[in-house]
Amino acid sequence: MAFKIDSRVGVTTAYRWRQILSNYVFLAPVVALNLIVIVIPSLTSIYISMTKWSGLNQPEFIGLANFDRLINDPIYWKSLSHNVIWTIFFLTIPVFMGLMGAFLLSGIKRFQMLYRVAFFIPYVIASVVNTELWRTLLHPRHGIGAWLAKQGIEGFDIRVFGSKHTALYGVAFVDSWHFWGFLVIVYLAAMYQVQPDLYEVAILEGASRFQRFRHVTVPGIRPTLVFTLLMIMIWSVPAFDYIYLLTDGGPAHASEVLGTYLYNMSFFRFEVGYAAAIGVTMALITACIVAIFVILRRRGWEI
Amino acid sequence: MKRLSVLILLTLFILVGAVGAQDVVTVTWWMEPSGSDDHVQELIIDAFNATHDNIQIDYQPQESINDQLRPALQAGVGPDIVWLAGNAAASQYVAGGFLLPLTGYADAYGWADKLLPWAYGAGIVAGELYSIPVTYESMVLFYNKTVFEENGWEVPTTADELWSLAQQTADMGLVPFPYGNATWQPSNEHLMGIYLNNYAGPDNVYAALIGEKAWTDSEFAEATDLLREHIADLGWFGGSLEDYYSLGGWDPAAMLASGEGTMMMSGTWMFRGLSPTFAETGMEWDWAPLPPFSEDADMQVGPYSYDLALGGNLGVNAATEHPEEVGVVLDFLLSDKARILELASTTGFGEWVIPLRYEIDDFPPGTDERVLRFHSDFAATTGAGRYGYTAWTFWPARANQQLWEAIELVWAGEMSVEEYLENHAAEWAQDEADGLVLSILPRE
Repeated sequence: MAFKIDSRVGVTTAYRWRQILSNYVFLAPVVALNLIVIVIPSLTSIYISMTKWSGLNQPEFIGLANFDRLINDPIYWKSLSHNVIWTIFFLTIPVFMGLMGAFLLSGIKRFQMLYRVAFFIPYVIASVVNTELWRTLLHPRHGIGAWLAKQGIEGFDIRVFGSKHTALYGVAFVDSWHFWGFLVIVYLAAMYQVQPDLYEVAILEGASRFQRFRHVTVPGIRPTLVFTLLMIMIWSVPAFDYIYLLTDGGPAHASEVLGTYLYNMSFFRFEVGYAAAIGVTMALITACIVAIFVILRRRGWEI
Repeated sequence: MKRLSVLILLTLFILVGAVGAQDVVTVTWWMEPSGSDDHVQELIIDAFNATHDNIQIDYQPQESINDQLRPALQAGVGPDIVWLAGNAAASQYVAGGFLLPLTGYADAYGWADKLLPWAYGAGIVAGELYSIPVTYESMVLFYNKTVFEENGWEVPTTADELWSLAQQTADMGLVPFPYGNATWQPSNEHLMGIYLNNYAGPDNVYAALIGEKAWTDSEFAEATDLLREHIADLGWFGGSLEDYYSLGGWDPAAMLASGEGTMMMSGTWMFRGLSPTFAETGMEWDWAPLPPFSEDADMQVGPYSYDLALGGNLGVNAATEHPEEVGVVLDFLLSDKARILELASTTGFGEWVIPLRYEIDDFPPGTDERVLRFHSDFAATTGAGRYGYTAWTFWPARANQQLWEAIELVWAGEMSVEEYLENHAAEWAQDEADGLVLSILPRE
């Protein structure tokens, strides 16, 4: 009996080792890939952030001087504040529109697929095309506002991307126009997972449509909702393409975000070391966002 | 026997092919896409390849070339010939050891005698030639000739005439100077360069470029403040500051062609699109030199001057395996004025005007009289020493970027002119400390 047990243990151990080994063999390509495209560049970036480097000459190690410069750089803080505004904008308006769109769409049977496609199309169009479309629509001389003004309807011929008061929000609007359809589809898929019985009970209890949304739908899709909020916060840190294409951070840095500031530092000013320092702070901000979510989840928050 | 013959023939073909392939060297050339690439391919590349059995050019226009070139060269996989976004960029690549000195080629092929002296000199870094220019440009005053004639206006030749006409057109509800930076934020440097040269004067700018005058001096402060007043307070550029930030691409040219705008301070690259744009409205355009903006004769170099500008450079990858062949390619480019002017004519002489020592007779028949007039007068005027300096050609990278980017803070009222110029001087000092300030030929 003892022999059998030993034998079984022996077989089990060998099997386990083989399984562990095979797991690592299968993981190896992914680990190698991540080492090459994530870990090594990340470590290199940290090193570069502590150098004075044009991207072409020999890097000169300067310790934390780039970070010291960041602390006293008003454009950096202005850019960071714009990232915060950008995040708040995307956590509210597109999410609200996405939830409303999905909820309303879930209630209709005819042409639902047509609406889904219509909402989703902007998401799959290239950002270059989207931005050119909106640049034309909002053009001060031949856009919608100018046309309305010619018809005698004043007040809409504003220079959305040309005013330092509206540029950031104008770009955020265009970006959210392309993004909210994605949220509609995600939320709609989540809403189909909510048990129909709950709605039936709510209706029997006399709940209004809004109450059903508030007390059945939202709690039912909470994991998806929280996941999208987390992703929006993470995606907002390296926001770049729509801003770069529409305003390039202007006018007068009014729509500058960390991504465009980093880009200009690297490619116009040849200050790759300083750009890397900006990048490191962006990575730290992202890490903080993820850490907060992890801590809250460990403390029992249902997120 | 039959099989053996086939085998021998195949072997011979392979051997001959291999030997032939070894003899042909392919020179790769990365270029910023210009909309003229088909003409470049036909007039330069195909012509070269047809006449050189042992060297073939592989011409590759690259989107976002600035973003691609640096990592490519660092990785040692860059092309043989590289397009560079101006002298400031070239100096950075030189500092990194990524460009091959071209002085040997220049001496062997006599490039100093082929290129205009200032354009040749602009490619020199630390005593060595590292790049040759792709096109030369200058800043002029374009105007809607039809509108001028209808209103009986004379082309302004003094600052007073220019500003009073600008005010008059603004009072009429027209835009004095349609312009904008919506699609290219560095367009700000076009205006800053014009105001620095035309107000403070080319001699003062030159003195600052070589470190003998401070950027914070009153002449530069007054020039900067004058532009601030015109663009931010008076809204002369584009119609308002917000319009300026909203207009881009060919918007300003379209406004000029429609008569909505009357004059435009811009570069001669506009030659490319003005005629087709004006053809749509049936109006006529013309150009004139920009007059001095200051009445102080001591600051000026004559009735007018032209700012020197180069639109991109060509350098050679230091890691090229075919340095001799690259020299042959570059010399081909610099040796046939008729071919280059034929290529330039496909762009309306807005691009690819390599600064060779042209005579007016070199230009092809049918060349627009306005274009001929510019090149003729540019040669005469700059040859007489009346020339200024554009920021994208003569400023080092960081100071240049600060010049066009931070000026928006001045226009927004968030930074004083004094603080802006102090920052500019500080950036300049940093570039100087890093050895990146460009060498400037002494003024004649």
